[in-house]
Amino acid sequence: MKRRIFCQTLAGTGCLLGTGGGETVRRLLAFQDVANLSHVEARYYRKLPDREIECLLCPRLCRLGDKERGYCGVRQNDGGTYYTLVYGKACSANVDPIEKKPFFHFLPGSDAFSIATAGCNVNCKFCQNWQISQVRPEQIPHHDLPPEDVALAAQKYRCASIAYTYTEPIVFFEYMYDSSLAGRRRGIKNCVVTGGHIRPEPLRNLLQVVDAVKIDLKAFRQDFYTDFVRGELQPVLDAIREVHESKVWLEIVYLVIPTLNDSVKDIESMCRWLRREIGPDVPLHFSRFVPMYLMKNLPPTPLSTLEALRAVAIREGLHYVYIGNVPGHKGENTECPRCGKTVIERFGLQLKSLHLEKGRCRFCGLPIPGIWA
Amino acid sequence: MYLDRGMDRSRVVVVGGAGILTRDGEMDPAKIAAMLDLGFRHLTGADQSPDGPAALFSRKDRVGIKISTIGGRMISTRPELALALANLLSSSTVSEKNILIWDRTNRELREAGYRLSDGPNGLKIFATDTAGAGYDTELVSHLNIGSLFSTIQTNFVTASISLAILKDHGLAGITAGMKNYFGAVHNPNKYHDDHCDPYIAELFDTPLVKQKHRLSILDALLVQFHRGPSYHSRWAEPCGRLIFSLDPVAADAVGWRLVEKLRSDRGLPSLDEEGREPTYLKTAEALGLGRSALEGIQIIEDEI
Repeated sequence: MKRRIFCQTLAGTGCLLGTGGGETVRRLLAFQDVANLSHVEARYYRKLPDREIECLLCPRLCRLGDKERGYCGVRQNDGGTYYTLVYGKACSANVDPIEKKPFFHFLPGSDAFSIATAGCNVNCKFCQNWQISQVRPEQIPHHDLPPEDVALAAQKYRCASIAYTYTEPIVFFEYMYDSSLAGRRRGIKNCVVTGGHIRPEPLRNLLQVVDAVKIDLKAFRQDFYTDFVRGELQPVLDAIREVHESKVWLEIVYLVIPTLNDSVKDIESMCRWLRREIGPDVPLHFSRFVPMYLMKNLPPTPLSTLEALRAVAIREGLHYVYIGNVPGHKGENTECPRCGKTVIERFGLQLKSLHLEKGRCRFCGLPIPGIWA
Repeated sequence: MYLDRGMDRSRVVVVGGAGILTRDGEMDPAKIAAMLDLGFRHLTGADQSPDGPAALFSRKDRVGIKISTIGGRMISTRPELALALANLLSSSTVSEKNILIWDRTNRELREAGYRLSDGPNGLKIFATDTAGAGYDTELVSHLNIGSLFSTIQTNFVTASISLAILKDHGLAGITAGMKNYFGAVHNPNKYHDDHCDPYIAELFDTPLVKQKHRLSILDALLVQFHRGPSYHSRWAEPCGRLIFSLDPVAADAVGWRLVEKLRSDRGLPSLDEEGREPTYLKTAEALGLGRSALEGIQIIEDEI
C-alpha cells in the first residue's frame, strides 16, 4: 500500500513512475530529444589528440571519436569533451524493500528509494531489465530528478537508503556519487547494486560515499563472461576484493542458469575463492533464473539445483548462503552459524521476524555481520 | 542477388566525376545524376537511364534509402546524392511516395542538411524517432545479434538501398554499406567490440536486412581516410567517386581498397598495420553474403 501511495503521489506531482523494466518496449516509440538529456562532463576520462577521448570508468576503456558514444550508450564525446547524458535523468524510481535488491544483512525490513537511468556497460543475454538497461536514454521516458531531489524523495518517503539499481549504476556514476552525498547530508544511507565492472580509481572514490554494495558475480569462468555477459571476470573479482577491503558492506548474488554456470566444480572454486579472499561471512545469494531477453531457450532453474549449490557453499565454509527468487523457501532465512537458530525470517521480499539484539544472535549472542541500523 | 548468380565474380562499378566536389563542399546536382545513371547502367547492363533502376525495383516496392548522417554536415551521405537517387528511382519505376530517405534521428538528418518531409504523396525524408515510427517491439535474436529494429525497416521498406558514406573507422577499419545498418537498430553501441566483428556481418545476415537489401552505393565523394569516423579536414579527400554493387561485401571491399590507397598516398600505415583491418568482410563472406577478395570481384571503372 505504501508503495502504491507513493506512486500515485509522484504521478500527481509530475514525478516519474517506473519499474525495473516492465512494459518499456512499447515506450521505445516515445523518443526523447537528445537535447533533453544531460550534458554534464564525465569524471573519468582522458583527452587524446584529434578530439578523441578514452573513457576510464570501466575496464572497457572505450576510445571514442567526436560524437561517438561508449558501449554503455549514455556517455558521449562532444568535440573532445566527454559527457554523461543521464545525470539527473532517472528512468525508474520506486520505493522497494531492501530485500528486493537483495540485501539481507543491510537494514532489513527497511525501504530503499531505488533509482536507475538507462544504460549498461555489459550486455548479459539473460538481463531481467533489458528494456531499460540495453537502450539509449533518448529511447525511453525519463524524468528530471537531480541528486538533491533524490535525497528529498528518500527522506519524504521514509526510506532508510537510496539504492542505485535496476540497470548498471556504474554508467551513471556522477549522478550516483552526487546523490549519495546528498543522501548522506540527510542521514540516508546509500547502496549500490552492480555487476562490478568498474576500474579501481572510480570504485575507490565511490566507496567513500556509499554504505553497501551488492555485486552480481555472474559466473566463475571467463568464457561465460565472454559468451553471455560481454565482459571480463577479473575486474569483477578485483572489485569484490576492493569493496571488502574498504569495509563497505558487501553481498554477492549469483544467478544460477541451468547448464551454463551451475556446475558444482565451478561453485566449489568460487566459494573457496570467496572464503579465502573475503572470508566466510560474506552473504552469498543463489538466485533463480527465469527465461528472459536473449535467453528464452532455457528453463527456470530447478529448485533442486539451487538447494544443491547452497549445500556446496555451506560445505565450503560460507556462513550465510541464501536462495533467491523462491518465495517461502527456508533458504531465504538467516540462521545463526553457531546455534543454528533462525535469526531473521523472511517471506519473499518481506521481513517476518528479526531476532537480533545489537547485531547479535538473540539466542546465543554471536555477532551477525551486517549493518543493522 | 548478392553474388550475381551465374557469374563467377561480383561486379562493382566505380564511377568518377572529376571535380564534382570542391573543398568547399559545393556540388553540381546534374553531375551527380549523371554519375548515378552511369552507375546503374554499368551495374545492370541497361542501355537507357530509366531501365537501370527498373531492373532492380518493381512498382510495388517501397524503397528505403538508408543514409548515414552521424557525421554531421561535413561527413554524412550528401543530401544532393540521396535526392538525386530518389529522383532517378521515381523517374524510373518506383512511385515517389514509396521512397523514404531515412536514418536514426531527425536531428541528425537536419544537421546533415536534409529537409524533413513526411507527407503522404511525395518523397519521404524522416528518421526512426519520428512520431509514429520508433522501434519494433519484437526483439530480433540472430547469432550474436539481439536488437529492436526500426519500424521503417520492419514495416515500411520492402527494398533497401544502403547509401552510406565511406569512411575510415577507428574500430571497424572502415564504415561503409554494411555497417550502415547499425543505424537501423536501437543498440549499435553494443556492436563495436572486436572490430565490430562479427556484428556487422551478423546484423546484415538477419532476414530483416538480408532479404530486403538490394543495392549498395557508397558515397566516396569526400572520403575520411584517417581518424574516422569523425570529420577531420586534413584527412578528408575529395575523391569524387560513387561505388555501386549488388554484392554488399564486394562494395565494402572495394571501398576499403580506396581508403587504403588514400592512406598510402599520404604515407600513412595501412589498416592492417594499425591492427584494424576490416575483418568483418571475411566473416560476411563466410556467411555467404558476398565476396571480399579482389580476385572474386570484377571492378568496372568509368567517368562521367
